[in-house]
Amino acid sequence: MHGRGGQGAVTASRIIATAAYEEGTYSQAIPMYGTERRGAPLTAFVRLDDVRVRERELVHTPDISIVLDPLIAKQQAVVDNLKPGGLVILNTAHKPEEVELGGDFKVATIDATTIALETLGRPITNTAILGAFAKITGLLKLESIEKAILKYFPGRLGEMNIAAVRRSYEEASDPIQAVVTKAPAEKVDIHVGGYGVLKDVSSWRLLTPEIDVDTCIGCKNCWIFCPETAIEWDEDTMKPSIRYNACKGCGLCANECPVDAIEMVRVEA
Amino acid sequence: MVGNKAAATACKLARVQVASAFPITPQTTITQYLSEMYARGEWDFDFVNVEGELTSQVVVQGASRVGARTFTCTSGPGLLYMHHPMQVTGSGRLPVIMAVVHRGYKGMQPDHSDLMSQQWTGWGHQYVEHAQEILDSLLMAYKVAEDPRVRIPIAVGYDGYVLSYTAEPVEIPDQAVVDEWLPPNKPMPSILPDEVDPSTFGRGWGGGDPQMPWKTHHDAIMGMEDVQKEIMDSFEKTFGRRYGNGMIEEYRMDEADVAIIAMGTIAGTCKAAVDKMQADGKKVGLIKLRSYIPFPNKDFQEWAKKVDGFAVVDRSICPGKGGPVYMKLRDALYDQEEKTATLQFHAGLGGKEVRVHDFKMVGDKILKAAKGEKVEKITWV
Amino acid sequence: MSERITRAQIPLSEMTITPGSACQGCGAALAARLAFKALGPNVIRHGIPCCPDSVTKTPRTGTVFEGGGALLTGTSRGLKAIGRDDVKAVAFYGDGGTYDIGFQGLSAAAERNEDVLVLTKDNEAYMNTGNQRSSATPKYSMTSTTPVGPKSRGKPRHKKNVPFIFAAHYVPYVATASVGFPEDLIAKVTYAKDLKGFRMIIIQAPCPVGWRYDPAKTIEVARSGVQTGLWPLYEIEDGQNFKLNYKPKELKPVSEYLSPQRRFRHMTEDETAEIQEDTTTKWDTLTRADELGRLII
Ligand SMILES: Cc1ncc(C[n+]2csc(CCOP(=O)(O)OP(=O)(O)O)c2C)c(N)n1
Ligand code: SF4
Ligand code: SF4
Ligand code: SF4
Ligand SMILES: [Mg+2]
Repeated sequence: MHGRGGQGAVTASRIIATAAYEEGTYSQAIPMYGTERRGAPLTAFVRLDDVRVRERELVHTPDISIVLDPLIAKQQAVVDNLKPGGLVILNTAHKPEEVELGGDFKVATIDATTIALETLGRPITNTAILGAFAKITGLLKLESIEKAILKYFPGRLGEMNIAAVRRSYEEASDPIQAVVTKAPAEKVDIHVGGYGVLKDVSSWRLLTPEIDVDTCIGCKNCWIFCPETAIEWDEDTMKPSIRYNACKGCGLCANECPVDAIEMVRVEA
Repeated sequence: MVGNKAAATACKLARVQVASAFPITPQTTITQYLSEMYARGEWDFDFVNVEGELTSQVVVQGASRVGARTFTCTSGPGLLYMHHPMQVTGSGRLPVIMAVVHRGYKGMQPDHSDLMSQQWTGWGHQYVEHAQEILDSLLMAYKVAEDPRVRIPIAVGYDGYVLSYTAEPVEIPDQAVVDEWLPPNKPMPSILPDEVDPSTFGRGWGGGDPQMPWKTHHDAIMGMEDVQKEIMDSFEKTFGRRYGNGMIEEYRMDEADVAIIAMGTIAGTCKAAVDKMQADGKKVGLIKLRSYIPFPNKDFQEWAKKVDGFAVVDRSICPGKGGPVYMKLRDALYDQEEKTATLQFHAGLGGKEVRVHDFKMVGDKILKAAKGEKVEKITWV
Repeated sequence: MSERITRAQIPLSEMTITPGSACQGCGAALAARLAFKALGPNVIRHGIPCCPDSVTKTPRTGTVFEGGGALLTGTSRGLKAIGRDDVKAVAFYGDGGTYDIGFQGLSAAAERNEDVLVLTKDNEAYMNTGNQRSSATPKYSMTSTTPVGPKSRGKPRHKKNVPFIFAAHYVPYVATASVGFPEDLIAKVTYAKDLKGFRMIIIQAPCPVGWRYDPAKTIEVARSGVQTGLWPLYEIEDGQNFKLNYKPKELKPVSEYLSPQRRFRHMTEDETAEIQEDTTTKWDTLTRADELGRLII
């Protein structure tokens, strides 16, 4: 299961494992803990079996790949190690036919971000993809997932998450065989979490800042406050520009712009 | 000159640039000697008076990383308090030299449990017998540790009181000769802003086989054996003294059928006992173990072909496991064809005196065992 | 004392290598960016465990969590020994490494007046390990080890006044700063850089994850901390000379700072009033010290 820190991939993996346990299936949920920060890509693994799961290693060739994040969903790496004939469930607004991932596997899509925003008010997509998982794989009953959710989120939060799961169950599309046979040439490391300098954090963004230079009054707020130095300043034009590979989409620049010259937009294509 | 003065004198001879220490009996007087030497301006060095041992270890670590020659020292509890940063000094491959003036945990008197408890920190460990050997070993330790093939910190251990505070003659080498034999340290690699390799910025976190740093560290320490032997030879050539091959020092082993293995000051007492035993016609010799890490596997394997018994006198014990030298020796001998008899003796723990007659008892037992007679394997002396 | 600068005077060149590993909108990453901009290339950056380890175009050295003060000492003495004391030993540590586990070693380094610069990014908890309380955590703040429940109202005690404690070592320079006031921050780092002896700047570094607010609001939160008097900006020289750098005619109510942060959301009106009173009293003392230009420690 691929996601980004803050989207709840680890919790989602535990909910699946707990739901499976409810149904009498043995399960195991392993998070790959690095130093994941909010926004950084990360992976969690789930094993389901009729017998007790004894191996304690990561899942290297999964049957199913679940992708919580629309930008990570564009990376070939999420399907690269799938078993032949496997399944990938992607959080994206696109139809399965439009997905540009290649290989021998089935593709299903669900717009979990929109569901999460509308039911939870926040882009935490972990539960909003679980309904689709239940429906498409048939591995778990919706009720077991709901029961498991209440264990992790008691009270009102649980109810909201259950609403997200139900909507995702209803809206999930049937999987189709992958249509692209050739993998896209460009490969990005989806495990770019961790310490140190990262190459490209574009996949961290939910929203992307866009500067309207005509409105900009050259106050330098966005430049001085960007934690990632993603805004470059041109002393001649007195205007900023964005280095998108360094931008994590925090929205700080837009928030600090006195004339609203920066807009945070949802770019998915 | 007392043992601690010999250690401070070695610092001066080695032209240590940054020393840092926190007082603890029986190491305390080293901090005082160094402070006095600093106050008198005996040479150009910095002595950092700190608030605890953890700090003294990290101070020399930091100074060593920018390339200064450094020294620290401590005893028993102070050494335990340094445990965490010692790992960093070890992993950082910093040529820090430390004198460990042994003090046990169960009381103030010496045994080797303090330094033995630091086995996993990635340092070289040496145990020495007398004041002259302290001075000489510290000088050699700098040359070994700073060797580009090694770059490993070294702890030189010696017993508190009976050595640290005991006066005996020490020959002090000529400063000019030492200067020539021990040139200034060079940092590797440099972290000065104008010398650092910018491609290392941000590197060092994850990636690659996580076992590799352990392997290279282990290999580097194993490689110290040859360097230590080589530097022992060069030391003798320059200063006219030697301690066996650097790893072990044999005493009257030519005629011996069996060997007693001991470390530190009690090896001196054992020498006296060996003299008496050989005068009585008993063919007992001593192999003084100087380098516990790396352990002289090859030397013992060779000796196993020549003698019929080893009596290991351990001055520390891992409770529930046993004497560390005994365990390591048996490990070194396991694949030998000839089965040499081995006996374990627990002696000198908590500072208990180990006397000449004790070693005579050890000698008698191992002679019997070597002849195939039945004797108890483990003896608390 | 530092001299005011304008935004136009802030150097354009950057010293951090980005993108780094910090979360979106991380105040600590911004603190590193601004501080190292002011420091330039001739420094060795010191690190201990904390988040995020911003990478700079300078060498880095590091040690155990508890060893921050000692490592700076070692580097500084070592540099002097090899004749390179033109290079500055600069720390970028967390509040845990400064207020708590590293406190003893830093206090000792201050007492020895080591020639070092300590920059602490204060995000008011152990964030690297998942938001546990530290002695920098303010009263009532909810953290993963001071949760709210029938027996707990969040952190029971006030934040430790570390800048004053270090000032009481009679060191050349102690200051507070905030990422919400970059000109002030950069002016202070620039000034402290060239002083000799022990210098410390504690930088308020809001953490969207631990403080629980929208990452876009990092500067808003930082600024309101200063404007409400909860994070006063000041400088103390030689443990005596005192200057407040930000003096509004009127402080904003503390609720403006507290309510957007969900770490305080359980607070009652009485509890907020208590914080308000405490803040006003402390502010009063600070303004009087500022008028005098002196502190009595
Ligand atoms: C001796 C030791 N104890 C505990 C830890 C675990 N640890 C690493 S970072 C950290 C918290 C750091 O907190 P702080 O200094 O405030 O920095 P922040 O992460 O908030 O930036 C802890 C507890 C450690 N690395 N070493
Ligand atoms: S959204 Fe955040 S990371 Fe991106 S440019 Fe704006 S401030 Fe920088
Ligand atoms: S904050 Fe807005 S007005 Fe100021 S420089 Fe940036 S885009 Fe221009
Ligand atoms: S947890 Fe807080 S301090 Fe740490 S990287 Fe994330 S935002 Fe920054
Ligand atoms: Mg912190």
